[in-house]
Amino acid sequence: MKSIRSFPKLVLLLVFLTLSCQDDLLETKPLSEFTEIDTWKDPALIEAFINSIYLSVDNSFNGGDGILKGQFVDEMHDQWYSFFEFNNSLLTSDNLGGWNHEEWTKLYKSVRYCNLFIEKDAHNQLDAAFVTDKVLKDRMSGEVYFLRAYFYQQLVSLYGGVPIVTKVYGLSDDFELKRDSYAACIKFIVDDLDKAAALLPLVQTGDNLGRATKGAALALKARVLLYAASDLHNRAAVAGYVDPELLGYTDGNRAARWQAAKDAAKAVIDLGAYNLYKPAPASKDEAIQNLTDMFILKQTEEDIFVRFFRPETRQNNLSQVAGPNGYHLYGENTPSGQLVDDFEMTDGSKFSWTNPAHAAQPYVNRDPRFYADILYNGAKWKPRPPDVLPLEPEGVIQTGSWEKWDAAKNEIVVVPGLDTRNSPIENFNAGYTGYYLRKLIDPTIDGQYSGQGNPLRYIRFGEVFLNYAEACIELNQDEEARKYINMIRKRAAMPVTMESGAALKARYRNERRIELAIEDHRFYDVRRWLIAPASYVAFTGVSIVYKLNPDRTTATVPTIKPIVVQKSAWNDKAYFFPIMRDEINKNKLLVQNPGY
Amino acid sequence: MQKILALTSWVFPISWQVRVWANFLYFMKISFYCCTVIMITAHMILANVSEAQDIRRSRVALELNNVSLKSALEKLQAESGYNIFYISTKVAPYNGISLKKEMRTVHQTLELILSNALFSFSQEGKTIILKERPVSTLTVPVTMPPLTGKVSDENGEPLPGVSVVLKGSTQGTTTNTEGNYQITTPDESSVLIFSFVGYQSQELLPGTRGVMDVILKADTKALEEVVVVGYGTQKKATVTGSISSVDGKSLQQVPALNITNSLAGRLPGLVAVTRSGEPGNDGTTLRIRGSNTLGNNSPLIVIDGIANRTMEGLNPTDIESLTILKDASAAIYGAQAANGVILITTKRGQDGKPKVNVTFNQAWSKPTVLPKNADAATYGQMLNEISLYRDRQPIYTADELQKFRDGSDPLRYPNTDWFESVFKPSSQQRIANVSVRGGSESIRYFVSAGYKYQDAIYKHSATNYSQADFRINLDGKLSNYVNLGVDLAGRQEDRNYPSASVGTIFNTLFKSKPTMIAYWPNGMPGPDIERGENPVVLVTDDTGYNKSKSYIMQSNVRLNITNPWVKGLSLTTNASFDKTFINGKIWQTPWFLYTWDGQTVDAANQPSLVRGQRGYSEPRLTQNSMNTNRSTLNALLNYEKHIANTHNINLLVGVERMVGDTATFAAFRRYFITASVDQLYAGGDLEKNNSGSASLSARKNYFGRLNYNYRGKYLAEFVFRYDGSYIFPESKRYGFFPGVSLGWQVSEEKFWKDKIKFVNYFKLRGSWGKLGNDRITPYQYLSSYGFGTNYVFNESVEKKTLPELRIANPSVTWEVANQSNIGVEGEMLGGALRFSADYFYNFRNNILWYRNASVPTTSGLTLPRENIGEVINQGFEFELGYNQKVGDFEYGISINGSHQKNRIHFWDETPGVPDYQQSTGHPMNSALYYQAIGIFKDKAAVDNYPHWANARAGDIIFKDVNGDGQIDGQDMVRSDKTDLPTFTGGINMNLRYKAFYADILFQGAAGAARPYFTNSGNFGNFLAEDADGRWTPENPSATKPRTWSTTEEYWAKINNTYWVRNNDYIRLKNVVIGYQVPSEITKKIGLSGMRIYASGSNLITIDKLDSFDPETTGFSYPSNKLFNLGLDINF
Repeated sequence: MKSIRSFPKLVLLLVFLTLSCQDDLLETKPLSEFTEIDTWKDPALIEAFINSIYLSVDNSFNGGDGILKGQFVDEMHDQWYSFFEFNNSLLTSDNLGGWNHEEWTKLYKSVRYCNLFIEKDAHNQLDAAFVTDKVLKDRMSGEVYFLRAYFYQQLVSLYGGVPIVTKVYGLSDDFELKRDSYAACIKFIVDDLDKAAALLPLVQTGDNLGRATKGAALALKARVLLYAASDLHNRAAVAGYVDPELLGYTDGNRAARWQAAKDAAKAVIDLGAYNLYKPAPASKDEAIQNLTDMFILKQTEEDIFVRFFRPETRQNNLSQVAGPNGYHLYGENTPSGQLVDDFEMTDGSKFSWTNPAHAAQPYVNRDPRFYADILYNGAKWKPRPPDVLPLEPEGVIQTGSWEKWDAAKNEIVVVPGLDTRNSPIENFNAGYTGYYLRKLIDPTIDGQYSGQGNPLRYIRFGEVFLNYAEACIELNQDEEARKYINMIRKRAAMPVTMESGAALKARYRNERRIELAIEDHRFYDVRRWLIAPASYVAFTGVSIVYKLNPDRTTATVPTIKPIVVQKSAWNDKAYFFPIMRDEINKNKLLVQNPGY
Repeated sequence: MQKILALTSWVFPISWQVRVWANFLYFMKISFYCCTVIMITAHMILANVSEAQDIRRSRVALELNNVSLKSALEKLQAESGYNIFYISTKVAPYNGISLKKEMRTVHQTLELILSNALFSFSQEGKTIILKERPVSTLTVPVTMPPLTGKVSDENGEPLPGVSVVLKGSTQGTTTNTEGNYQITTPDESSVLIFSFVGYQSQELLPGTRGVMDVILKADTKALEEVVVVGYGTQKKATVTGSISSVDGKSLQQVPALNITNSLAGRLPGLVAVTRSGEPGNDGTTLRIRGSNTLGNNSPLIVIDGIANRTMEGLNPTDIESLTILKDASAAIYGAQAANGVILITTKRGQDGKPKVNVTFNQAWSKPTVLPKNADAATYGQMLNEISLYRDRQPIYTADELQKFRDGSDPLRYPNTDWFESVFKPSSQQRIANVSVRGGSESIRYFVSAGYKYQDAIYKHSATNYSQADFRINLDGKLSNYVNLGVDLAGRQEDRNYPSASVGTIFNTLFKSKPTMIAYWPNGMPGPDIERGENPVVLVTDDTGYNKSKSYIMQSNVRLNITNPWVKGLSLTTNASFDKTFINGKIWQTPWFLYTWDGQTVDAANQPSLVRGQRGYSEPRLTQNSMNTNRSTLNALLNYEKHIANTHNINLLVGVERMVGDTATFAAFRRYFITASVDQLYAGGDLEKNNSGSASLSARKNYFGRLNYNYRGKYLAEFVFRYDGSYIFPESKRYGFFPGVSLGWQVSEEKFWKDKIKFVNYFKLRGSWGKLGNDRITPYQYLSSYGFGTNYVFNESVEKKTLPELRIANPSVTWEVANQSNIGVEGEMLGGALRFSADYFYNFRNNILWYRNASVPTTSGLTLPRENIGEVINQGFEFELGYNQKVGDFEYGISINGSHQKNRIHFWDETPGVPDYQQSTGHPMNSALYYQAIGIFKDKAAVDNYPHWANARAGDIIFKDVNGDGQIDGQDMVRSDKTDLPTFTGGINMNLRYKAFYADILFQGAAGAARPYFTNSGNFGNFLAEDADGRWTPENPSATKPRTWSTTEEYWAKINNTYWVRNNDYIRLKNVVIGYQVPSEITKKIGLSGMRIYASGSNLITIDKLDSFDPETTGFSYPSNKLFNLGLDINF
C-alpha cells in the first residue's frame, strides 16, 4: 500500500499543476462575431458591411408583410380594418395606424451605418485596407453617400426637415439636437448625391449589379428636386405652423427649383445609359405582354436602381400577400376601385360608371396597362392549385357570384366565386374590392410556399421621363413635356396626347398614377400635389352578380356596380408624420409637426 | 370558478401502446443485466457485505491518553461510527485509560478499553451495548423474572406514557406517572422497544437483568440532519444562512416526469410557474425569491457539486435532496449566484445488502382547462355584426345561420368544436424505474435506470416525449485515508413533434372556425384555414416531423483524502466532464386535404371531394446537431478543529476552473424525389445548404468558507468567492463576492433551557452578502459585427451582409446583488412542531440594461447593456410544520408561504414621462394600460366622453386619465401587476393510518395578472365568454364590448385593462393515496416491501379564468391534469 500513501501528494501536485498554470484560460474570443478591428481592415468585410446598408433600404415586398405604400393611399384597399386609422388621418404621436414602412428610428439606424463608413474614411482608417485599390474604395464611398441620401430623402418626405446627423455617436455623447430646415436637408441630400455621382461608375457589372450607380444617384437627385419643388413644400400645407421652414421653402425661388428638377432629370436622360423597355409595341396585346414582363424579368434596360431577390430567401412575398384567396393566397391588398376606374379607355377617353356602355362592360377597351396590372372578374390568370382545380379548371378569376336555379328546391341558389368573401376556399382571406393585383406578381411562383424572384424596382427610367415632364409642365414647356409623356403612352399602346395647360397637367397626373401604379409613388404624389382631400374619400370596389334570367338560366354577362368598401377621410395634419412622443421626450430640442 | 375533476369523465385507455411497451421491456432488461453485472462485481471486490459491519472487522486507530472510560467510549463512538450504549453512572468510576495509536478492530479496541472494567459488550446492528459483567457465573434462571425500570429524559426527568413493547410481538406496557414500568420478557434474547413522541426510540436487550433504567434522548433528528450547502454539508442546527430543502422522497410519488414540475408549493421562497404542458417542453420556470433583475433571473443549478447542469431530465427517483440557497450563503458561488442556487444531490450507496427498488407509474393526463368557443351559429352572427359595423353586406343570411344552429345540413353548415376534434379525452404517461442500492465498508453503490414516456393530448398525435436514463454512483475506500467516488449518469431524451410548431398548432386551433368542417363523413380531413393548415392534420405526422434526440452524459471522479498530514484536514478534488449531444431532424413533406364545392355529389349522394396536395411541393429535410462540452475541475481543502468542545472551527478553501464549448452544425436539402427515405443523401442537389457555429466559455475562481461556533451557541460563517469570468473585459474579469452570516442558538442558553423548555430549539440568524450575476451575452465590451441576412446582387447571387451587432461598452461588469436576510427557526414539543421565518431585502445594482429610454433614436445606436439599473426586492417567507401520532394515526401538516415584491429603484427613464407612467418605483416588467372603464352604450355616450378617434357605440371606454379631453398615449397608466405572482404558498399534509398513507399538497399563487388576447374576428373564432352578453344594438347596456375583429378595433389591439385577467389561483397540486402491503403478504411473494398508490396532479383549480390555465399563456399547450396509478416494490 505504499503507492496509496504517496497518493495525496501526487494528487495535490496534479491539482496545482492543472489549476494554477493557465493564466490565459479566460482569454476567449467570440467565435461567431467579427471584432471592430478585424472588420475595418478587410475590404471583404467592409463590403459586407455596406451590403447590410442595402438590406435596410425599405422593402415593400418583404417577409410576411408585403404591405405596399399603395395601401396607405387610394391605390389599394387593405383587407384589415386596422388600416382604417391611417386612411382616416387618425395618426397620433403614439400611433402610426399600421404604417410599417421606413420611419424615423429605422432610418436613423441606417444613417448611422453610413456615417460609420464615412467617418472611418475621413480619419484615414480605411486607407490601409484599400492600399492597392482606390477604385474599390471610391465605389464603396459612392454607394454609402448614395444610401445616406436615400435614407434622408425618405425621412424628409415623411417628416419635413429633420436633424441632419453626420457624426457617429458614442455612448457618452450628448444626444440632443434640433431639426434642420427643409431647405438645408434638401441641400445636404443633393450634396451627398453629387458626391456619389462623382465617385460611382456609370453602370455596375457582374456581381456588383444591383449596387448604386452614377445613374441611380442622378435619378434620385431628380426625384428629390422634383419633390422639393412641389406644392407641399412651397405652400403652407398646414395653416398656422410656427416653424414653416421645417416643412418647406420660405423663399420665393420656386421657378429655380423647377428648373433644377428639370435639369436633374435631363442629366439622367442625357447619360444615354437607359432606355424604355420595348418602347414601340406593334399591338395592344404586345404592349400588355411587354408591360407584364417588365416587372417579372430580372433585368431590363429601364432599370436604374433595383433590389434582386431569390425565391428561396422569401424576401419578396408579394405573391402570397396580394394573390387571390382562391389560389390559397392572402388577398390582403387589392387594387381599389378608384385606381381601376382611372385607367383610360383605349381611345384615351376617361372611363365613367355613368356611361351605360362603360358600366355594362367595364373591362373592355381599357388601357393595356389595366390588363397588365389588374386581375378582374373573368381575367384569365394561371391554373388553380390542385385541390381547387376541379372547381375551376380554367384559371379565371372569380370575384363575382352566380345566381342559379335549384329546380329541386324551387329557389335561387347563390354560388359565390372562388375569390370572394363567400368562397369555399379560405374566404376570410378574400379582398373586398373585387380586384386583385397582377402587376409585380410572377404567375409561375406558388406564393404559398415560395417567395418571388422578380426584383423590386426602386427607380426606373420611366419615372425619370415623368419627373422631367412634370418639371417642364410647371415651367410651361408643354411641348417638351408632351414628348416624354407620349413616349410613355406609346410604349403602352395608348394614343398620344396633344393637350396643353391645365388639361395636360391633369393628363400627366393621371398618366403618372397609371404608369407608376403600385410602385410606391402615389403615396407621395397625392401629398406633394396637395390633392389628398380628394384622394382620401372612400375605398371603392365592385359588386358583381351573374343574375338569374327570367328563363331561370344564369346570365353570362355579369351585372357590375361600384360599391364603397371602406370610408376614408383626410386631415391636413397627415401631410406630415408625427414624431413619436417618446422621441420628443428624449430629445427636448425636437419640434413636433403641426396638428399632433 | 371551480373545476372539479369528474373521475367518471375520464376515459382509461387500457391498451398499452405495444411498440413503446416493448421498447420499455427491452430497456428494462438491459438495465437489469447492467445492474446485475455491477452488483456481482461489487461482491467480488468486497467479499461478504453483511460481515463487513461486524465490529470484528471494522477498524479504528484510537489513541487514548489517560482518559476516563466515558470519554474513551465517546471517542470510539465518534471514530468508529457505532452507537455505544451504556449507562453513564455505571461507567463513571473508570478512569486512566491509555491506548497507543494503532490499527485495531473495534472489537479489539473495546476489549482493551474495557479490560479493567466489569463490562461485557455485544453488537446489535450499528449499536454496541455494554452490559455489566455478572459477578456470579451462576445465572441460568428457569423463568425470567419481571423486568422493571425507570424511563427518563436526558435531564433525569421521568417520562410517563412511554410505550414499552416486546419486539416482534404486540405485548407491551407503558410507563406510569413516575416513569416506571414493569414487563415480563420470555427469554434472555428478548428485545424491548422504548418509544415516545418527540424522543428517539430505543431498542434494548435487557438480558438477564431485573432492572433496566432507560434514558430517552429527545428526537432532535431534524437538528442532527445535515443540509447540503455550497461545496459541502452542514448540520441543520448550525446553519446560519437562509436555506430550504426538500427530500427526494416527497418528490418521488408525484407523477411528474419533469422534476421542475414537482417543486411548486414545497419550498418557501421558490416561485414556480409552468407555462406549457407540451411533452418534452413542459419545464417550470423557477425563481428564487421572485425576480431581482431586469436581466436573467434564473437560479444557478448545481447537481452533485457541479454547476450549470440542467435539472430537467434528471430522474426524480435518483434525488436524495434538493436545497435552495436564498441569501448570502450562495455567495460561495460568486458571480453566478445572485439569483440563488438550487443544489441537488443524488442518492448514493448505503451499507448493507443490496436493496432493489422497482416502481411503475401509469398516468392519464388531460388539459386543466380548455377554452370554450362560440358555436357556428353564434360565430356566423358575429361575423355579420362585424360587417354591419364596417358598413358591409352581412356574410350569412338568417336562413344560413338557422342551418348552422339546427344542424340540418351538417356538411354545408357544420358546427365544429375544433378543440374536440383535435384533442382526445386523455393521453398517457408512464414512468418506470429500477434501482439497486447497497454496499460495504469499502465500496457502496447506487445504480438506477429509468424509462419515461409521455404522449400529447392530440388525436393521432405525432407529439410525444420519452426518456431513458441511468445513474451509477460509486464510493470506494482505497485506504483509511483515501476515498474515491465515481459518478456516471446518462440519459437519452427523445422529442417527437409534427413539423408544425406548437405555436402554429395552437394559433391555428384558436383561429379555426366552427363554420368549417374538420372531417368529412368518409373520415378525410376538411380544408385548411390557410397555408394548408388544418389543425386535425397539423398535429399528426402527415406533414412530416420535427424530432430531436438529446444524449446527455455527466461524469465526475472525486478523490477525498482525510487527515493526510494534519488531523482534521481533508482534501477533495473533483474532475467532472459533462457532454450533451443533440441531434435534430425536421422533415417536411406534402400532405393532402379534401375540399368540397358544396354542391357536387357522387352516386351514393356523398359529397364529391377534391383531394389536394398542400404544403411544400416536395419533401425537404433539415438536420442539425449541437455538441456541448463542459469540464469542471476543483480542489477543496477542508480543515476541522474542535478546541475543548467549545470552539468549533471549520475552514474550507477551494479553487475551481470550468471550461465549456459548444459547436453546432446544420444541413438542408430539398427536392427529394420521394418521401420514403428521410436521409440527406436522398435529397436533390439544388439549393442545398449548410451552416455551423461555435462558442467558448471559461471561468476560474477561488472560494472559501469559514465556520465558527462557540459551543454550538454562537454561530458565524464567512463565505467568499473570487470569481473570474470570460464574459467581461480583461481588467474587469475578476470580482470578490463575500457573504457573512451570524446565528445564535438561543435554546442552548441556560436561561432558555430552564425557562422555555417547551421550545427545545430556537435560533436567530442573519446574513449579508454581495453576489454577482454575470448572465449576459458575453463580449459586450467588444464592438462587433455579425453576418445578417444575405443580400442578392446580379439577379441571384447572394452576398454576405455584416451589420453592426452592438457598440462596445468597455466598462461592462456583473450585476451586484446585495442580499440581506434575517430569520428565526425553531422546534417545539420535542420536534413535533417546526417553524421558520425569514425576511429579506435584496438590493440589486449595476443591473445591465439598455439606455434606450433616454437615448434618442437619432443616434442610430444599437445600445449595449450598461450597468445602470437598480432594483429592490423584498419580502418574507415562513414555514410551519407539525407532526403528531395518535394511536395508529400519524399525520403531518406543513404550511409555507412567501411574499416578494420588487420595484425598480433606478433605471433609464424617458424624461418627461408623467408620474403615473414612470416605471421607477414599480415592479419590473410592469406594463402601461389604458384604463377600461366601461362600454359606450350608444352614440350619445361616445359623444359625451373623450374617446379614441374612431370610437363607436359598443366600444370600450378608455379613461381620460389626465383630463385633457382626448384619449392618447398620456392616458395609459402603469400597472403594478405582472405575470409573476407576488405571493406563493403551499399546504402539505401527510397522513398515515396503519398501512394506508396519503400526501396532499395544495398550492396557490396570488398577485399575478396578464392580458389575454385572442385571434377573434374575421380571422378566427371567439371565446364563448366573449360572445355571451356582448354589446349589440339590441343589448346596449352590456358590460362586454361589441363584436370585434382582431387587431382592428383600437381596444382589441392596444393594451387596456379590459383584457387583463387576475391570475390568482389555488390548486390541488398533488395527491398521493397509497397502501403499504403488509410484510406477511410481501414475504410470501419474496418481496421486502410493496406499495400501491394512486396519485394526481393539478386535480382541482380554483381561479377566476374560464378559458385558460392561470399559469400558461393563452396560445400555448395547456397545463396537464394527471391521474396516476403506481406500484413500488422492494426486494
